[in-house]
Formats: sequence, C-alpha cells, structure tokens
Amino acid sequence: MQQAIPYKSWPLPCIDATSHRARSTTTLGHNGRGKDVLNIVSENAVIVLARKGCCMSHVVRRLLLTLGVNPAVHEIDEENEAGILNELGTICKGTENNKMVQLPAVFIGGRLFGGLDKVMATHISGDLISVLKDAGALWL
Amino acid sequence: MPFSNLPLLVYIYQIWEEEGIEAIETWNVGEQQELEGDEESKLSIALDINSTCAKVAFFIISKSMNSPTPQFVPSRLGIYEPIHQIGIWGENFKSNGNPNTSTSVIVEVDNKLENESETTSHEMLTASNNYKQEASKPIDKIQRRLAQNREAARKSRLRKKAYVQQLENSRLKLIQLEQELQRARQQGLYMGGVLEGSHIGFSGTVNSGIAAFEMEYGRWVDVQHRQICELRTALNAHISDIELRILVESGIGHYFELFRMKSTVAKADVFYVISGVWKTSAERFFSWIGGFRPSELLKVLVPQLDPLTEQQILEVCNLKQSCQQAEDALSQGMEKLQETVSSTVAGGPVDEVSYIPQVATAMEKLEALVSFVNQADHLRQETLQQMSRILTTRQAARGLLALGEYFHRLRALSTLWATRPPEPSLP
Repeated sequence: MQQAIPYKSWPLPCIDATSHRARSTTTLGHNGRGKDVLNIVSENAVIVLARKGCCMSHVVRRLLLTLGVNPAVHEIDEENEAGILNELGTICKGTENNKMVQLPAVFIGGRLFGGLDKVMATHISGDLISVLKDAGALWL
Repeated sequence: MPFSNLPLLVYIYQIWEEEGIEAIETWNVGEQQELEGDEESKLSIALDINSTCAKVAFFIISKSMNSPTPQFVPSRLGIYEPIHQIGIWGENFKSNGNPNTSTSVIVEVDNKLENESETTSHEMLTASNNYKQEASKPIDKIQRRLAQNREAARKSRLRKKAYVQQLENSRLKLIQLEQELQRARQQGLYMGGVLEGSHIGFSGTVNSGIAAFEMEYGRWVDVQHRQICELRTALNAHISDIELRILVESGIGHYFELFRMKSTVAKADVFYVISGVWKTSAERFFSWIGGFRPSELLKVLVPQLDPLTEQQILEVCNLKQSCQQAEDALSQGMEKLQETVSSTVAGGPVDEVSYIPQVATAMEKLEALVSFVNQADHLRQETLQQMSRILTTRQAARGLLALGEYFHRLRALSTLWATRPPEPSLP
C-alpha cells in the first residue's frame, strides 16, 4: 500500500462513526487547498471528489449506493479545481502512474482509486465489492 | 361532299334500327381543321328525327385522344338506335360566334342538312329530307339529349383533369425524392442499408465527422457480416480451439473498433450518436444511450451458450446483476442531466428577450452527454470482455455468432418493415 497519504486504519469490528456516518456533501470554501482535501479524503473510507453539479458523480454515487455504500461526496469549486488536482496529482502516485486526476475521482481507503471508468470496470469484473470490503466501507 | 365547309372531322355513325349496331362506318367530311383548345370536345348530336328513317348522330371530334384513325369510307344513312348507347359526350354548347365551335357547326350541319335536301348526289339527302320534315317535332327531345350529353361530357372531363393532376403531382414528388436520394448518396449517407425519408432532411448539414463515420460504419457492418459467416463455418467444421481463438479475438476486437469510432464521432456531434439515426429502425427501437443495453445482450447470448458449468452459471448471473446495476446508475445520471439542462434552459425571467445566458450555460452542461456515451460504450466493452473471460473459446465463438446474427436479423426486420405495403388511404 502506498503511504503517500496518512491513512488511519479502521478496526474492523468496531463500527467507526466516521465510516458509517452519512457525511453530507461538503464544499471547500475559497480557502480550499490540496491539503484540506487530503485530510477529508483520509477521513473517509469512500469519498467522491467531483465538480459542482456533475452528473457523473451522481452516477458513481448511485452505483455505490446499490452496493450498500454511502460515499461522501466532496464538491470542488471551479476556481479551486486546478490547484487541488495539481496537489493530488503530485501526491497521489497510485497504480496509475503519472495520470492526471480526472474528476469525478473516487478515493477508497484514503487512496485514489480512479474515475468512473475504473469503478465500472471493477464492478463488472466483480472485484469492486472485495475492494470496498478491504477498505472497510462494506462489511458482511 | 355535302359538308365541305365544316371545319371539323365528322364521324357519322349509323345504326340500323332492326339489326342494332351494324358496322360502323365513318367518313371524313369537309376540311380537317381542329378545334381550338387541346381538350377533347367530342360532341354528340343526337338528332332525334323520330321517324322510321334515319336518326343521325354526328360525332364532331377534334383532338380527341381516344379517337380512332378516321376511316374515309363513305357511309350511308339509315335507320338506327338512339345515340345514347354510344357514350361520347362533349363540350358545352356555347354559342360564341366562333366559327370553330360546335354550335355553329351544328347549325351549319343543320343548315347543310337542310340545304342539301335539294341536291341529289347522295343518299344522305333522303335522310336530310326526312330530317327536314320531322325537325320541328322532336326539338325538345333533341335539346334534352344535348344537355345530357353536355353534362356527361363535362363530368368526364373534370374527372380526367383531376386524375392527370394527381399524376403530375406524384411525378413531381418522385423527381424530388430521387434528387434527394442522389444528394444523400453522394454525401455518403448510407444509413444501415435502409434510407428512410424522414432522415434525408439532415443531409443538409454536411458534417465531415459524421460523413466519415457513416462510411466507416457501412464498412464495419460488412466486415461484421463476413466474420459471422466465418464463425459459423468454423464452428460447423470443428476447427481447433487455437484457430477458433483467433476468430474470437478478432470478433471482440471488431466491437471495440466500433466503440472507438463512436467515441470519435461523439466528439463531433454527440446528439447524432445518441439519436441512433446511424442504425436501422429496429435496432434504434432498443437504443439506450447510443447503443444496446448490455443486459439485453446477455439475454440474447446466454441461451445460446448451453451447456454452462455451475461456476459459469454463477458468474454469468453475477455479471447480469452487475450490468443491471451499472445501467441503472447511468440511467439515473442521464435523468439528472436532463433535469439540469431543463431547469437551466427554463430558468431566468421569460419576459426578457435575451435568453443567451441560459442557453449558453445549458450548452456547457450538455457536454456531459459525451461522457455518458463514452461510459455506456465502456460498459458494453467491459461486459463483452468479462463474458470472454467466463466462457471457453468455443462458447465465446458461439456467443459472438449469436450476437452478430441477432443484429443481422434486426437489420433484416428494419428492411422488411420499411418495404411493407402502404396502408390503404382513405377514400
């Protein structure tokens, strides 16, 4: 596991308030910087970073809901978008090497998972549920 | 000849009373000048002489299309049946002083008949004598019959006019359609083998991206058809798995090629892709975000794949469910997009003339549609790939054959539908 982002591991049997609470959509104000975003990302087992009013984030959220996961959705203002993506890009060196972070971006277990493409592909191949379970977003 | 001054062709039909209509003889009387006007103006003048003698019918014919070639055979006047048996009716008798009209001719005929009663050179003179004697009596009858004839003639002519008009209109329409067809073909707009009239209109917008796609798609369909035939032959011939694998790979790759093509043209005009006009009508019936629903494809495929192992059945079941979930998520996203665009367009005060801000914003939102098309195709691609992972080579080959054959039949259905006989129009 990449340790680029500080990640708190959740003790599984313990129902952690953070992972379970239906966190409402948060919006970073004009002070939003990459670091704040990273904090939020690390606090949630599953979080979707999206532009305001993006319909694709709606799709991601719907899909995750069907699986029993209620993801946090974090909306990014247009003006902050470039800055945040930059920060994320430099910090998140996930399996997709040097790929620009596309919005909507899904973070599972504090780690950048990918865009809607990746979520769909993983879902169809049947692996998504195990990934979510591993991150503590799903149990049972 | 007696009627030498008549400016018309005069056909004189005679019918012998006792024997019904005998041989009909005609003679050409007088100079052959044609009546003015290009319509037929056959006139029948039944002079009901009401005698045992001849009842003479004069058919004065100008440029009648139905008129037979005049036979210049001298005729005899005899006794005959009333003229209404021979239904050739003519123009209104309007006395307008034109020497070429019937009225004056008739008058002339009458005159001639009367005048010629003195001459002795022809048998007809006997009849004309008789006519002269009996002329006063049946004037009413004559007038009535003339009126009837006129009426019938007018009706007939109107009917003919209407029919010709209809023909002309149809002819013009046909020329128009042929021209449009020509234009559309030249621009390479060949839509799935069936050109439907309602779509020819958009040939006006020559979008090179669309034109290129149209051509490529036409070729894609041909290659698809060829691949299906190869698969069928290969499966029946029981070739080795290795060779079959090659065919399967190229079959799947062919679908991926289509998704690439669609992605390119979606950037040019996403509405074009979503509308599905590039497909045949039956295929379009099943359209979901610019293509087929993956779950529908699975329903078509799976019955053709028997027998499946227990493991395979389970995996296919999971795949069906995943597909359905993904489709639902995308559909809901589309609905959200519709709501967003709709509220954007409808927003703002309507009493202001300028709607540019609303429309401009809506345009930005619509760009998300391209993503939807791409995601939908991506889903189709992933589904196909997962299926090829689950199945053996032979099963995958059968699956591809089933899929290709399904689309082929849908296209055939579209063609059949387009060429079905038109419904009878209301009278």
